[in-house]
Amino acid sequence: MADVTLTHIYKVYPNGTKAVKDFNMQIQDKEFIVFVGPSGCGKSTTLRMIAGLEDISAGELKIGDLIVNDMEPKDRDIAMVFQNYALYPHMTVYENIAFGLRLRKLPKDEIHRKVVEAANILGITEYLNKKPKEMSGGQRQRVALGRAIVREPKVMLLDEPLSNLDAKLRTQMRAEIGKLHSKLQTTFIYVTHDQVEAMTMGTRIVVMKDGLVQQIDTPKNLYNYPGNKFVAGFIGTPQMNFFEGTLLKKGDDVQIKFEYTDAEITVPYSLLYKAKPSYLDGNSVVYIGLRPEDISLASDDVKNNKAVVKVVVSHKEDLGSETLVYGDINPNGDGYVESSTRIIIKDNSGRELKAGDVVEAALNINRVHLFDKKTEESVLPRVPEYNYLDCEISKGKIKFLGAEIRLPASVNTEDLKGELLLPTDAVTLNGELQAEVVSCEEINGVYLLSLTLGGKRLYAVLSEPVDAKTVCVGIDFKKITVTADGENKILPLPEVNAFPCKFIKKKICERVEVNGKAKKKKSVQFGLTVAGAFFGVADETAQKIFTALGIKNAYAANLRLECGIDKIAVAESGIAAEAVQTLDYGTEKYLKCKVGDSFIYVKTEAEYNGNICLLPDFEHVGIVEIEREIKII
Amino acid sequence: MKMKYRSKKGAERASLVAIHAILIIISVIWLIPFLLMIILSFRGEAVGTSADYIFPKQWSFDNYIKLFTETKFLRWYGNTLLVSVAVTIFQTIIILATSYALSRLRFKMRKPLMNVMLVLGMFPGFLSMTAVYFVLKEINLTQNLLGLILVYSASSAMQYYICKGFFDTISKSLDEAARIDGASRHTVFIKIILPLAKPIIIYTVLSAFIAPWGEYMFSSFIMLGDPDQFTVAVGMKSWLDNSSLMSDGYFAVFCAAAVVVSIPITALFIWLQRYYVEGITGGSVKG
Repeated sequence: MADVTLTHIYKVYPNGTKAVKDFNMQIQDKEFIVFVGPSGCGKSTTLRMIAGLEDISAGELKIGDLIVNDMEPKDRDIAMVFQNYALYPHMTVYENIAFGLRLRKLPKDEIHRKVVEAANILGITEYLNKKPKEMSGGQRQRVALGRAIVREPKVMLLDEPLSNLDAKLRTQMRAEIGKLHSKLQTTFIYVTHDQVEAMTMGTRIVVMKDGLVQQIDTPKNLYNYPGNKFVAGFIGTPQMNFFEGTLLKKGDDVQIKFEYTDAEITVPYSLLYKAKPSYLDGNSVVYIGLRPEDISLASDDVKNNKAVVKVVVSHKEDLGSETLVYGDINPNGDGYVESSTRIIIKDNSGRELKAGDVVEAALNINRVHLFDKKTEESVLPRVPEYNYLDCEISKGKIKFLGAEIRLPASVNTEDLKGELLLPTDAVTLNGELQAEVVSCEEINGVYLLSLTLGGKRLYAVLSEPVDAKTVCVGIDFKKITVTADGENKILPLPEVNAFPCKFIKKKICERVEVNGKAKKKKSVQFGLTVAGAFFGVADETAQKIFTALGIKNAYAANLRLECGIDKIAVAESGIAAEAVQTLDYGTEKYLKCKVGDSFIYVKTEAEYNGNICLLPDFEHVGIVEIEREIKII
Repeated sequence: MKMKYRSKKGAERASLVAIHAILIIISVIWLIPFLLMIILSFRGEAVGTSADYIFPKQWSFDNYIKLFTETKFLRWYGNTLLVSVAVTIFQTIIILATSYALSRLRFKMRKPLMNVMLVLGMFPGFLSMTAVYFVLKEINLTQNLLGLILVYSASSAMQYYICKGFFDTISKSLDEAARIDGASRHTVFIKIILPLAKPIIIYTVLSAFIAPWGEYMFSSFIMLGDPDQFTVAVGMKSWLDNSSLMSDGYFAVFCAAAVVVSIPITALFIWLQRYYVEGITGGSVKG
């Protein structure tokens, strides 16, 4: 019954392999979280780090309000169910379940009551006096569950608990674990490689691959809005069809041309508002993803749909209620091998098909997914990062979407016509441009506001919902980029400053007076040298650095100190810098300083010139090891 | 077809007969000295320095009575028993603990340590005999049973290998489950691992008991000159070295002593062998 918070969690093995990279997640109380991914993706490692069975290389793990990084598993108040049950073979079922309670020295009658209760819930009362070896797999896993639930832990961890059971039993146990969760009202974290288990059980799912979190969302959102090609392909059976193709904007339509075949379809531009314009030039290749259930062979659908492709049927799998039709949109393709023209269709029409038939398939274009060919990230992210707009700058004013705003002095540039890259979080609600609200939807804790300005779409990301029909929007100029003729004319301010730094140990020799006698007292002070200046750090910070880097490497490693541009200030002493310029953004002012060869930006009220000193706010800094890119703090 | 079947069975039978014949011959050869020893120990008439005939003309317990009344054998026997029991206790604890640590804990230099221990264990112990003697002499433990116990127990940890191998076969998820259930490493060892490791504990106890029971080299060296501190091996060898004693009919007494010496080991084995079968890990984890 507690939240679990993972902040920048890393697992790095001594040989340098990173099993888990920068895992960030806030798990709410009573949630059923499923970690899913192919083998070796780091999901079990993450679970074992939460359990305390693996050390955390870097990052912070909180259960409830407690930081548990260095806590023994027994003190974390968690319970875990293992894939191989891990029952104590020399004990009876009763003793197995009671073991944890006995170690906690509970009174005997209470232990008895709890064990019997757990056995009742799981239907294993009649086996209480048996040894594990006399029981079947399903019964053993029930005992393991019983052992976990009697302890009434804050968090239940389940590591592929159903993988060793046969298919029928698995379905049954799946339902029972779901029931158990609603009954116990505890936080569950469940690891599986089976996406069906993930989809059916989780309130939220974490999809992982190669140690990286790919996406965290509800099962429905994962299915409907996969963030990248991997998630799209991993969630859903049969797998989503991926074709390669190009997009070309023609007026209000976008023409999608499939590669390796002459098939093409047209979709309205309104579906692709969120896409970066450079994808729509007819040259950049993207993956076009369509789920088998979003393709129809029914004649009505084909008649009423503009997006129709010809498919050569290669074979089919009849599942009774529906048929999976395998084919190829390339007339010469064979439909067996996974290729960028192979198509799988979930067909309910009951049509009789045989190999070699050419049929027309209607694509449900409202459900098309597009992914970048190189990065495999979605071209149509749910929360777009940027608005891509045409703009014109003249006489200190910027024109875009038919509106005009005066540029602050610091970002002024010569007159030009170019493109404005406006981050969605740089659109504020305290400006002067009136825009109509189309919709405001909550997506994973933020609010995406869709606006129309000058008849075009503008997106804003907010932390609060908006109820009004019209809003007055403004722009945070320190985040915008303007390019013209392939050259950056206006660049955003970096959000964080980076300093090279090293971790060092200072031996301090003090003279202290003890009982009237002067004595030498030696102590050690850990600290960071940041661009030549020394800052002492708290023991806790030093400890984290040692944990992440090892005692030997801690002093040798090249580190990077990161601090937000508003988390550093001009002070009497600190990092020596040279004030170069004061940047005025209207409501805020920033000081551009030179430290070494790089520029540092500091939020400021006053103006400075010449040599100054900078002091980062050490409560809000990040420390990163450069070589392995591990965020230590 | 039928012919072939019969001939196969015949061949099988022939090979079985041959195998058993060989085994019987080997066991007879192996058993003769023991039987001879037992028979001679009950001989009433005097035995010279050689056993000229097998079955005694007169059966009697005289040799045993002589053994316990006229010689220091009882004292030696007590010494040996004391040393063996103490060594068994120390050695079993040390070996089990070392093996558990090497099997379950991951620490720096673990592999090199294991290798060094393994290689050191291969050197015969007596190589260090003189050095050990001087050390014992410095701390006044020569001609002292405590010194002997110390010497025998000291290198116990080097015999971790078999035991560690057994611990390795116990699934680690049992440890993990217990640790999550609230057990410390110590509790895991006592309550989970040890009950599952009965066969290997028995093996360790037996081998720990037998080694000092029959050891001669170290004990003869350390106890040199003080017959009161002899172990049975040293004491009995001293009879053999004394030819006048041997010709005085001690041959049969020696045999009686040998019989008495073999009793505890036999008893221990018979008592422990029922645990000495296979492990009981069935049903714990899915294999």
